[in-house]
Amino acid sequence: MHATTSSPAIEADGLHKRYRSKVAVEEVSLSVAAGEIFGILGRNGAGKTTTVELIAGLRRPDRGTVRVLGLDTRRDRARLRQVLGVQLQEAVLHSALTVAELVHLYGTFYRDPIPLGDLIESVGLTASRRTRFENLSGGQRQRLSIALALVGRPRVVILDELTTGLDPEARRQMWSTLERLRESGVTVLLVSHAMEEVERLCDRVALLDEGRVVALDSPSGLVRRAGFAQRVTFRTVTPVPSGLLEGLDGVDGVHTDGDRVVVEGRGELLQAVSVALVHAGVTVTETRGEQAGLDDAFLTLTGHRLGTGKETVR
Amino acid sequence: MTDVTVHRPGPRAWAALLICELKMVVRDTAGLIVPIGLPVIILVMNASSAGQQMIAHGRTAFDVYVLPLVFTMIVATTGIVNMPSFLAHYRRSGILRRLGVTPVSPVLVLVAQAAASVLQITLGIAAAWILATLAFGANPPVRAGAALGVLTLTVAAMYALGLTIAALSPTPNSSVAIGMVVFFVLGATGGMFGGLGGLPEVIATIGRWLPFGAGSQALSAAWIGAPIESSGLIGLAATIVLGGGVAAVFFRWE
Repeated sequence: MHATTSSPAIEADGLHKRYRSKVAVEEVSLSVAAGEIFGILGRNGAGKTTTVELIAGLRRPDRGTVRVLGLDTRRDRARLRQVLGVQLQEAVLHSALTVAELVHLYGTFYRDPIPLGDLIESVGLTASRRTRFENLSGGQRQRLSIALALVGRPRVVILDELTTGLDPEARRQMWSTLERLRESGVTVLLVSHAMEEVERLCDRVALLDEGRVVALDSPSGLVRRAGFAQRVTFRTVTPVPSGLLEGLDGVDGVHTDGDRVVVEGRGELLQAVSVALVHAGVTVTETRGEQAGLDDAFLTLTGHRLGTGKETVR
Repeated sequence: MTDVTVHRPGPRAWAALLICELKMVVRDTAGLIVPIGLPVIILVMNASSAGQQMIAHGRTAFDVYVLPLVFTMIVATTGIVNMPSFLAHYRRSGILRRLGVTPVSPVLVLVAQAAASVLQITLGIAAAWILATLAFGANPPVRAGAALGVLTLTVAAMYALGLTIAALSPTPNSSVAIGMVVFFVLGATGGMFGGLGGLPEVIATIGRWLPFGAGSQALSAAWIGAPIESSGLIGLAATIVLGGGVAAVFFRWE
């Protein structure tokens, strides 16, 4: 049987993994369509890396199954390795070998590797091709690691913390590399805790919290679950007359905390609030307007902010 | 099911891995000091005390006692110290984990590493032999074929032991420490510090069965043209079978 365009590139069903007493992944199911960039977003310890390791066939799930391009990740390992490229978090390579030597070595493992020079150039490492791995900066190691994940022309790529440790320019370069991958029809599973990256690149995102998928939607779909579209925050010198803002068009909620006021709502919220305050003669300082983002959605859905340890807001 | 044919990495991958392992060894200068530098020092230090007194068949005490000891040391340091330490480094750093997601089998990595260290052993023995011939007038073994056979058996036994240490030690770091301890225990009971004759009878007897003593004794016998004791050969063969079996059962890549 041959793959059809409608069959998913990655299909995980009821994955469960426990390390001694700690449950790392609990009932994780997800389906990634061919050609999709699919994000897994969550805090440290949410189970992202374990999920990825189960999908890559590096660990055996206690329960559940994973199929990548229809291949069972444990039983069809040999076939899977041909079509799956993996970039592992903080991967260490042979310390005394150079960039070019490592790319060549990994290229020999595959039938039709990307030519050495092209690949090194595409990740911006041409100037350091003769540098040993041990002398590369963190960002350069990361780029080499991505090059090695792509060297065998994989049809599915797993990238764990793609741009961690990269400077802004290198990060944008990686993002355009990923967009080129998308154009060539490669399926990408992107693990991240960088909101901006996920919002920009991913077609769909699974939010992982405490080993479970708490939401699975497009980035904009998730943002809608934040419960508000816009938020205006300001401080006042004199108190805001009660009921002034609540009655305005588009306002969904007003929260006052001392001299700090947060208004949530829709439409031309910032303008409406400003006009009302001026008419009421309230002097305002530090006005800030923001669109709801994935981090707000994350907070609403899980009760914690992304990347801030154990802080619980609820 | 997706149409994916299995492509096993072929000779190109083997060759590339072997070359990479050799580059790693050459660029890590400390890695060359133990198997090559150390035995050369032992050779020089023992050369004068062993002297040129004839034992038999025109072979001197230097030929019969010092050279087999030095050759066995080269094999033992590579097999039971360097091997577990290499595996410890590859496991701890995640190199094996990274290779585990490529089509290359981790066994291929192990084989490449083994081939690289056989070359290291060959180089170490060649260096010691050239020095021994030029500086101390060493003579070749009377039974060269038997000497080569014993040496091969010793290499296999030391590797089996090295793999057992790597497989059984609880952490990568402990495997290096255990390797060092095993090396000195085997060396001490095998006559590394002043010959088997100087040891208490019980220890010397045990030492003759263990791979270090067994290897150097058998090599010594081949050198002088004497028959090789069966206890030594049995000891070496048993180490290969037991060590290989234990390693195969308990080995972990991570």
